[in-house]
Amino acid sequence: MPSTENQGSSSPFMSFGRSILSIRREQVHSMEANHDPNTQESEIELFLQLISKRFHDLSVVSADELLSLAWMRKLLDAFICCHEEFRVILLNNKVQVCKPPLERLVAEFFDRCLKALDICNATRDGIEKIRQWEKQLEIVLSAMDSRQRTMGEGQFRRARKALMDLAIAMLDEKETGSIFSHRNRSFGRHQSSKDQRHHLPGHSRSLSWSVSRSWSAAKQLQSIANNLVPPRGNDISATNGLAVPVFAMSYVLMFVLWALVAAIPCQDRGLQIHCSVPRHFSWGAPFILLQERIMEESKKRERRNSSGLLKEINQMERCASHMTDLVDSIHFPLTDELKTEAGQQVQEVTLLCEALKNGLDPLERQVREVFRKIMNGRTEGLEFLGSVNKPE
Amino acid sequence: MEPPESITLDAAEKIILRWDSTASEETTDRMIFDGDRREVDQYLQAVDEIQRSMSAATISDGDRKGNSTIQIAMARLEDEFRSILISNTSPLETDSLIDSSFSTHSSSINVHSGEFEEYPEDERVLRQVGESPKAGESSSRASASYRSTNSIRELDLIPAEAIDNLRCIAERMISAGYHHECVQVYGSVRKSAVDSSFRRLGVENLSIGDIQRLEWDVLEVKIRRWIRAAKVCVRILFASEKKLCEQIFKGLDTATDNACFIETVKGPAIQLFKFAEAISISRRTPEKLFKMLDLHDALLDLLPDIDAVFESESSESIRIQAAEILSRLAEAARGILSEFENAVLSEPSKVPVPGGTIHPLTRYVMNYINLISDYKQTLNELIVSKPSTGSRYSGDQTMPDMDFAEFEGRTPLALHLIWIIVILQFNVEGKSKCYRDNSLAHLFIMNNLHYIVQKAKGSQELREIIGDDYLKKLTWKYQQAATSYQRTTWVRVLYCLRDEGLHVSGSFSSGVSKSALRERFKAFNAMFEEVHRTQAMWHVPDSQLREELRISITEKLLPAYRSFLGRFRSHIESGRHPENYIKYSAEDLETAVLDFFEGYPVSQHLRRRSQ
Repeated sequence: MPSTENQGSSSPFMSFGRSILSIRREQVHSMEANHDPNTQESEIELFLQLISKRFHDLSVVSADELLSLAWMRKLLDAFICCHEEFRVILLNNKVQVCKPPLERLVAEFFDRCLKALDICNATRDGIEKIRQWEKQLEIVLSAMDSRQRTMGEGQFRRARKALMDLAIAMLDEKETGSIFSHRNRSFGRHQSSKDQRHHLPGHSRSLSWSVSRSWSAAKQLQSIANNLVPPRGNDISATNGLAVPVFAMSYVLMFVLWALVAAIPCQDRGLQIHCSVPRHFSWGAPFILLQERIMEESKKRERRNSSGLLKEINQMERCASHMTDLVDSIHFPLTDELKTEAGQQVQEVTLLCEALKNGLDPLERQVREVFRKIMNGRTEGLEFLGSVNKPE
Repeated sequence: MEPPESITLDAAEKIILRWDSTASEETTDRMIFDGDRREVDQYLQAVDEIQRSMSAATISDGDRKGNSTIQIAMARLEDEFRSILISNTSPLETDSLIDSSFSTHSSSINVHSGEFEEYPEDERVLRQVGESPKAGESSSRASASYRSTNSIRELDLIPAEAIDNLRCIAERMISAGYHHECVQVYGSVRKSAVDSSFRRLGVENLSIGDIQRLEWDVLEVKIRRWIRAAKVCVRILFASEKKLCEQIFKGLDTATDNACFIETVKGPAIQLFKFAEAISISRRTPEKLFKMLDLHDALLDLLPDIDAVFESESSESIRIQAAEILSRLAEAARGILSEFENAVLSEPSKVPVPGGTIHPLTRYVMNYINLISDYKQTLNELIVSKPSTGSRYSGDQTMPDMDFAEFEGRTPLALHLIWIIVILQFNVEGKSKCYRDNSLAHLFIMNNLHYIVQKAKGSQELREIIGDDYLKKLTWKYQQAATSYQRTTWVRVLYCLRDEGLHVSGSFSSGVSKSALRERFKAFNAMFEEVHRTQAMWHVPDSQLREELRISITEKLLPAYRSFLGRFRSHIESGRHPENYIKYSAEDLETAVLDFFEGYPVSQHLRRRSQ
């Protein structure tokens, strides 16, 4: 179903989340009660609250909205917003940032940023793949468009062919997604026409443009998550508390990338990464919730082998499956019942295609924007970190 | 060619059904378009007939059959389309495309020796197919600037006959509403073709992480290759693909024309630019400047062609990305220059260079700015602000500074280069303080400032940029240093040869104090020997400077010694063991001075004067 704005009213998680939030916040406040408020403290506090708020809002959406295109864009929005704030914190505290131990922590953050760039690029490829699937669906729509003429055998055959191609394409993605063996699709003059007939239209399906053949999203994510641990007490005090926002931003980065990889088809996706959830930070609560919800989604029977957890992918799979059943059960003359059902399904697919057409381009633009922001932030930060760090 | 007779609907249907891909194996063993031309025409005619009858007929259930037939025909045509494309698709003959107007030399700076190296490229300098080679780029060191005169050149990727056939098919598919399928097939086959061409051109598919991990000298090679390949990709490969789409789909449906092109090249374009993007965000260290500028220039040159090839709205993201990369490369270049200036200022080594010779930093910096002056065309456009460091900014009076008012009307680049020399000078002076021996400190400054002036004068561009006035100043400074050196070393040596204190007027004799005189000679000999031993190890690399310095020494030393000898030798010779005191003749000294500043130790024994 096309995603709607979050009504926020009926989610059972919301009150649960809120209560945890309030408990945790009290704990944090009591921890920080000893300190006198000063600009740096409030700046950090505000930042953590921002993270908490933005991701809380994301975590309490309805099941329909979670992992939809619109939700993904909100997720990336939240990331950009937090990243900007973090940038400001770094700029405001340049002197401290250039001293150990904060300097090392910030340098590690920028290392993670670098790794994030490849994931952004791989996501663009994934979005392109979804576009390809959507185009297949458009063929189905074009075939089943009953406005043009009465539905005939030819149209159903055309639809069936397109649906088969779509199924193969999506299956293909799952295969290359998990094994990354490159199916050898050779072309050339010497191929027999017989082979050509069996040749699938997706010659280039396994061509990846944005990352190398051996690149793995799962490995990349894991390397970002490695050593991502909450700062120790003496680090926090040695850095006037700045170690905490650095950790928080690093965690947010990792989480958002993890969610992206979970949702969008990526080369060698994997959802299992080893990273400690920041349980004792109040801002960590929404992430715990989100992670649970997303993992739950991935374990559902129908989604276990999905090439991506994006809601619209699920919808595509379901629509395609229903449509295939319908088309397979067609016999002439058409009953009114079949006609109605066909009409309904066509309507469903039309709405889905609309949503995809309207949602994929903006999502791609936003991924690119995330890429840009991460890259610029890193360049800027490395400049004032200076030549203290070893070359990469 | 129009078939002679028109065809009935029934006959048309029969033909279509006969070639049903899904019906029998027999019909799929061969392609219609591979066979007899008459069969092709017949088939196309049949398709046309079916379509005509469908559009003429009113909407009714009886039309189901035609409806089904058209689908069969379209499915068949799709296969035919794919088959024609595949059998006429071959990767680009890339060898013949490498343009002859590439320069044959490339400059790079060796970080360790501080010297810059020129080495020939292993280019295959071939002619473009059917064209005479373009005039080679001036291969001075300014060859590193890649502003070439290449432009878009569209090739015919597929022979005309095949294009006609493809067009025939496309026309019918599109008018039957099957343009989606058409685009799909087209895109998938052509994408593979572009991928193959990419591999032949050496366009690699590296992740950003991969690129960051590579050593810079490896990357330099890749950058060169990328520049070559990118020109071919944009101007020939992509442009030709665009032309191909136009040839097949022109006039049929502009949306399809464009959709096919984007489908084919969007992914490859992203892959291509990804490399340049990764380079633009790599760590900014000085040795990267020149290759970055090469990359910048190449991309700048390509930008109009990129805009032309990707002019459609749907390819806007590619144009934007290219422009972004360009500006990021410019930023990187500016950042590197700034980094470089900081590095020169803060280069901290306190180990004095043995012999007071030219410091590696001086060599490196001068070679570096020499190369910069080669790139001045680009850098003049990129560097737009004055240097922003110095004591006027930091308030630290121990930092160097530069009075910009002196350099009115100069380009920002010139100001930066002069500033670099100012801070180099500052750094050199700081290093000179590490020498315990003040003479050596002065010599060191003399050597290094002299080197700076020589290098600057040696390059026409650099000399123009820095300006003769400033060079005169520097010249004066090193001459000053030479004078200071002489004073520091020789004043006390020559002091031994002074008149005062030697004459005694007393009751017994008025004359020369023999003991004092003997002390003088001993002192002089000892000092001279020490200076000789020490300063033979010192090094003045520039032969002319070395000569001049020696001459200056002898001009002061010899007359003083001769005069001293002349006046007082008789007193020594009239005493015992004169050879202990008058060890050297003036000629001996002159010879000894020739040992100075050679950088080698000498034997302790000077030639004694022959008795």
